Amino acid sequence: MPRYELSLILKAMQRPETAAALRRTVETLLERGAVVRNLENLGERQLPYKITKHNERHRRGAYFLIDFYSAPSLLTGLLDHLYRDVDVVRPAILKKDDQVKTSKTKSCCGTQH
Amino acid sequence: MLRAMGGRSAQAARLLAPRSAVLVETVRGRKSRNDPVAKSKEGRIKVPPPVDPVEMVVMKQRFGEYQMILKALRLEFREEVLRRKYEEETGSLAEERARQDAEEHRALMTWNDEENVRMLNVRMMRIQRENEEAERNKLEAALQREQEQQEFIKEREREILQLQEDAKNFITLENLDQRIEEVLDKPKNYNFAVDKEGRVVKQTVLQ
Repeated sequence: MPRYELSLILKAMQRPETAAALRRTVETLLERGAVVRNLENLGERQLPYKITKHNERHRRGAYFLIDFYSAPSLLTGLLDHLYRDVDVVRPAILKKDDQVKTSKTKSCCGTQH
Repeated sequence: MLRAMGGRSAQAARLLAPRSAVLVETVRGRKSRNDPVAKSKEGRIKVPPPVDPVEMVVMKQRFGEYQMILKALRLEFREEVLRRKYEEETGSLAEERARQDAEEHRALMTWNDEENVRMLNVRMMRIQRENEEAERNKLEAALQREQEQQEFIKEREREILQLQEDAKNFITLENLDQRIEEVLDKPKNYNFAVDKEGRVVKQTVLQ
């Protein structure tokens, strides 16, 4: 199955609400038959520019990365769902590249895997 | 040989004609066939020129001799030519030459045959060698392919095992809450800077 990465910008909220939003998203994914591999938090940071979404102006956002395996047919439905979620400022689903084999190449600094 | 020149006189015809040629009798000058004879020529009887008998005899003899000599010479020459031709074709030398040609031909043919045989052998050797090479290459290729297949299979197996290992860390409904808690506690920073010497700097702080 191809491997995708959902980079999610959630609204800057309190911890329980953020947890709830994340839980909601992951449950949607699991319902639709994806296999969630890993969750990553890139911190709550200032957005590069002010984003208006769902009638709200956002200046800060919480960045999260979810990589998962799924069929390509699920993606449009999923994106629709995410666009309609009020807490999500900006979703983006990208295909995940193959990891660089660190043993073969010379020590390539920058890759953290 | 009757030449009728319209408009010219017989004299002119006689002058223009070559000197050695025998004079032709019927040369029609001004008049054509059906014109009446001229008045001055009505009773004319044509008489051949008189012949001197002595002169005739002498001339005849001398001419006869002359022509005989010339004819003899001509025949001699013709015979010589024919003889030479005959000699050329079926003389003794011709036989020698024919024999030598045949010999040469036979020698060359044998040489040619030998060359053919030799080339055949060389060719057979070459073909054999090439076939062996091809066989070897084929075997090697087959081996190579086998090896590659094995490698491929091993690679895939390794990947599968790796994936199975990773699968233990996947997120399911049970560890969902726990994982979310973990994630919210540990933000990760991917920012870094590199300079031309390759020194990595990871000092960027999230705001």
